[in-house]
Amino acid sequence: MFSFQTIFDNLPVLIGAARYTLLISVLGCAQGLLVGAVVCAGALSRRVWLRRAAALYVSFFRGVPLLIQLLVAFYLLPVIGINVPALVAAVLTVGLCAAAYLSEVLRGALNAIPRGQAEAAAAIGMAPRDLWLRILLPQALKIGLPAIINELILLVKASSLVTVVGIVEITRMSQSIASATYRPLEIYLAAAFLYLAINLVIAQAGRLLERRLAY
Amino acid sequence: MTTLSSSPAAASMRKVNKYYGTFHALRDVDLDIPPGKVTCLIGPSGSGKSTLLRCLNFLEDYDSGEVRIDDQLIGYETPGGRRMSARRLREMRRDIGMVFQQFNLWPHMTALQNVAEGLERVRGFSRPEAEVRAREALAKVGLADKEANHPSRLSGGQQQRVAIARAIAMQPRIMLFDEPTSALDPELVGEVLGVMKQLASEGMTMVVVTHEMGFAAHVADRVVFMERGEIVAVGSPREVFHDAADPRLQSFLQGYRERNSLEF
Ligand SMILES: Nc1ncnc2c1ncn2[C@@H]1O[C@H](COP(=O)(O)OP(=O)(O)OP(=O)(O)O)[C@@H](O)[C@H]1O
Ligand SMILES: [Mg+2]
Repeated sequence: MFSFQTIFDNLPVLIGAARYTLLISVLGCAQGLLVGAVVCAGALSRRVWLRRAAALYVSFFRGVPLLIQLLVAFYLLPVIGINVPALVAAVLTVGLCAAAYLSEVLRGALNAIPRGQAEAAAAIGMAPRDLWLRILLPQALKIGLPAIINELILLVKASSLVTVVGIVEITRMSQSIASATYRPLEIYLAAAFLYLAINLVIAQAGRLLERRLAY
Repeated sequence: MTTLSSSPAAASMRKVNKYYGTFHALRDVDLDIPPGKVTCLIGPSGSGKSTLLRCLNFLEDYDSGEVRIDDQLIGYETPGGRRMSARRLREMRRDIGMVFQQFNLWPHMTALQNVAEGLERVRGFSRPEAEVRAREALAKVGLADKEANHPSRLSGGQQQRVAIARAIAMQPRIMLFDEPTSALDPELVGEVLGVMKQLASEGMTMVVVTHEMGFAAHVADRVVFMERGEIVAVGSPREVFHDAADPRLQSFLQGYRERNSLEF
């Protein structure tokens, strides 16, 4: 018999575990945007070696499965003398991986901005810093917003991979509850709806933000 | 042909050459821009008008010769020498306003923000002070009531007037216009030319690339005719439009009259 009681009893614990899911995906996405902006600047640079480095970065982090990246980070960091909590290592790795995708999102968005806008800024003597922070990035973020939201939703789901470095987020927690209660169907359904709820909220927030940024 | 005044030029070009790859876009261009006057640049498509204009603020780099703004060499430290530093170039560009055919407003900012941005970030005014000055500039181009509109909520003529306000708010010593009305519907051309006439009457030094021969004939103090990267004729509107001697200029004007069947 399907037991709703099991779901109600365990929901608080699952929601508690969702904190880690959110923490890793949201911080990972934020870091991905920051690092992605830097990688994107490299990809658009006039210097050949910077463009090469950016291309190498993107192909590495896009070409290696996140699961392997997490394992490498987990075992590599202590070897090179960096001892950080697993959670920090996980966020950093997810962020570096997201940066590869987000740098491409930003690059596409920047290419969609007419060149004349940068010329107008140059013509009044605006410094590159202001050109980027005031003219280009705000527009690139707006143009890229749907793709950025998409990436964030992918990260929410991909965050289940951090289980391998011992972090108990939604997926890991539901596995252990399932085996303790012998109620896998109920628990996994609860986990499914939890992921769904998170992603619906993110998608809705994205749409609201898009409408607010419209000009 | 004409001698306008003996005062030093607001801008000058000496034996300027510019190549795009192997294409020779400016050939030994010599030109003085008189201060407080309107200089119109005319010529067939591809003759190098935009290139010349863009060399004046070094948006386009030139390969040899000298371009000076108020006697200061722009782009290079010495004639034929090293590139000038980016910072120094920015300092010079502050004083050179430019208006583009496509307006090039920043679409994510309101009209007011478009104008205030340079005042705050480049001129270093506080935000309130920048906004006061931006409002003055918008009022000057007749758009005081549109300050809260984004460019997408403005007509082409209004967008171009915001672009002019953005440039004049910086209090430039010289203003460059590259076909400011060419992207506009015919009924919107007048409002932009009107603002430009007003600027001219206030004594602004202006260099205007234009296909509006009426404007050139009535507002310009000096008309420069270019063809194939060369300056072919320079003179008062009367000298260039009525007493044209050069056959290339004659055929250009003839073609224009045929296309427009206008009197000027
Ligand atoms: N970035 C570029 N690369 C290569 N060739 C160029 C470039 N910009 C301009 N040219 C060439 O240089 C010549 C002069 O161009 P320019 O834009 O100065 O002409 P123009 O007189 O302004 O013409 P129009 O009236 O069509 O605007 C043209 O033949 C053009 O094809
Ligand atoms: Mg042109």
